Amino acid sequence: MTAHSVIGPAETGTGPVATPAARVSGLRKVFGSTVAIDGIDLEVPAGSVLGMLGPNGSGKTTLIRMLLGLTRPTAGTVELLGHPVPAAADLALPHVGALVEGPGFHPFLTGRENLRRLAAAEPLLATADIRPAVAAALERVGLTAAADRRYRGYSLGMKQRLGLAAALLVPRRLVVLDEPTNGLDPAGTRDVRRIIAELHAAGTTVIVSSHLLAEVEATCTHVAVLQSGGLVATGELASLLAAGTGGLIVVTPEADAAVRALRAAGATAYRTRDGEPAVVVSDDGPPAPEIIALLVRTGIPVHEARRRRTNLEELFAQLTEDGS
Amino acid sequence: MTAATATGPAATVRGAPLGRLLGAELRWVLRRPRTIAFLVLFALVPVVIGAGVAIADRAGGPGRGLIGAVAGNGLVLPVAALTVSLALLLPLAVAMAAADALAGESAAGTLRGLLVAPVGRLRLVVMKAFGVLVVAAAATLVIAVLGVLCGLVVVGWAEGQMVTLSGTTLGFGEAMGRVALAAAWTTGQLLAVGAVALAVSSLTEHPLVVLAAVLGGVIVSGVLAAIPALSWLQPYLLTTGWSAGADVLRDPLPLDGLGESTLRALCYLVVGAGVTVARMLRRDA
Repeated sequence: MTAHSVIGPAETGTGPVATPAARVSGLRKVFGSTVAIDGIDLEVPAGSVLGMLGPNGSGKTTLIRMLLGLTRPTAGTVELLGHPVPAAADLALPHVGALVEGPGFHPFLTGRENLRRLAAAEPLLATADIRPAVAAALERVGLTAAADRRYRGYSLGMKQRLGLAAALLVPRRLVVLDEPTNGLDPAGTRDVRRIIAELHAAGTTVIVSSHLLAEVEATCTHVAVLQSGGLVATGELASLLAAGTGGLIVVTPEADAAVRALRAAGATAYRTRDGEPAVVVSDDGPPAPEIIALLVRTGIPVHEARRRRTNLEELFAQLTEDGS
Repeated sequence: MTAATATGPAATVRGAPLGRLLGAELRWVLRRPRTIAFLVLFALVPVVIGAGVAIADRAGGPGRGLIGAVAGNGLVLPVAALTVSLALLLPLAVAMAAADALAGESAAGTLRGLLVAPVGRLRLVVMKAFGVLVVAAAATLVIAVLGVLCGLVVVGWAEGQMVTLSGTTLGFGEAMGRVALAAAWTTGQLLAVGAVALAVSSLTEHPLVVLAAVLGGVIVSGVLAAIPALSWLQPYLLTTGWSAGADVLRDPLPLDGLGESTLRALCYLVVGAGVTVARMLRRDA
């Protein structure tokens, strides 16, 4: 470890800071002849919840491992909470909690003992605070009842919860969760969602990689989509979803009549493709209230009218299929 | 999470206190069932030798060599037990500890937990070397202590004296000093084994590779030493000096063999530690 005694404002402040929680540029990682990550530039704003999406093998875990200084990049730079990684990783990592590549614990120790061992290595935890901090982390992930059982006997979901508890031992500025809902039952998934929401509310930045798109859509403010080691889309979730879509969906049992009436009035309209008795009306015609008024005047029953929004699943399919 | 307080805004904390890390490592090593099993096994070594000698003694025929010297001379038992164990059993235990220390933690996925905490990579090596040291020291201590007890109880007092291989007698105090010297020397040899094992452990994530490499090394060294044409190789083999432990039973105490083998162990230790540090500073976890 190199000496690095400069203490920037990012370390002293606990409030909102201008420094991004993480920033990578020109990142590239090659394993032998396999290019795992190539040319990734990404900035994770402080306080955001970034969902990292991508098919299996797209480089999510490799990117996370480089963020945490576990793997050295072949080229490019990584900054974590304003500190270069891996050179000054020891300045950033105390403020970072991570669950990477599934939970890793010793089977012959109990859940509590495993956490105490990790807590002993936490620089920000005073020795006297280890026991209460471990107990609080176990409580937070709902593992108190099983805390004194050996890890050997834990179910997959309990192992995952213990991994989550390890990431939450100390109040963090950044929490990185790699596939946190793997092996969890629906209640466990809800707990993870609740924990992410709590972290977000407390101002902690969260990076969560997942292949469960509904999960990301429910919890994230920002999204980064990876495909074959490259970044194909990144930005705020809402603006990504809004881009390239739009229009009004009108649900009506008389869709064909509605299309005829709307086209006669100069609007671009067509039936939806998925078989739902509905009509899509583009934004370039009359505004929504006029369209609905027109349909009602023509005697066409309108059951529902809503703005068309892509869901993340469609967006993801578009992005990752175009790229390949 | 209210109980977890950050230690002020100064952020001068560069890592958890080293003593706390070593304590955690100590607990981890001693909680591991296989460590306990090995220590129990080592406790049995002097018991078995002592019982064997006592039975043979009663049958009328004391054996020859170091074990034979134990007959009626209980304070030789700990030294004999250490020498016998150093041939294979002790290196095996140390290799196992080193295998678990890095390769095992890597395979279990627990190494990255420590690195992300973060435990600096250099401190991680210190912490792991300490764990191996604990196993080596605990194993020799168990053999030495049980050896003395067993020697006195099962084999016999010899009026609290140790009869040396040279035929002189040593008082109880000096005899204990000789046993302590044998134990310390044995630990030194084991640390050399441990350093090399830790180096192998840092290069792989398969604990079995470490065991195979160390045991293979010990066995191959023995074979090489037995080939007269390769006698020039002997000064470089760690195992060459492993018979020097029995020197503590001579009077006056010859220090050449003990000193030379300790120096050799030091060379292995430096090389092993160097490789381990160089590798761990860059290793992907």
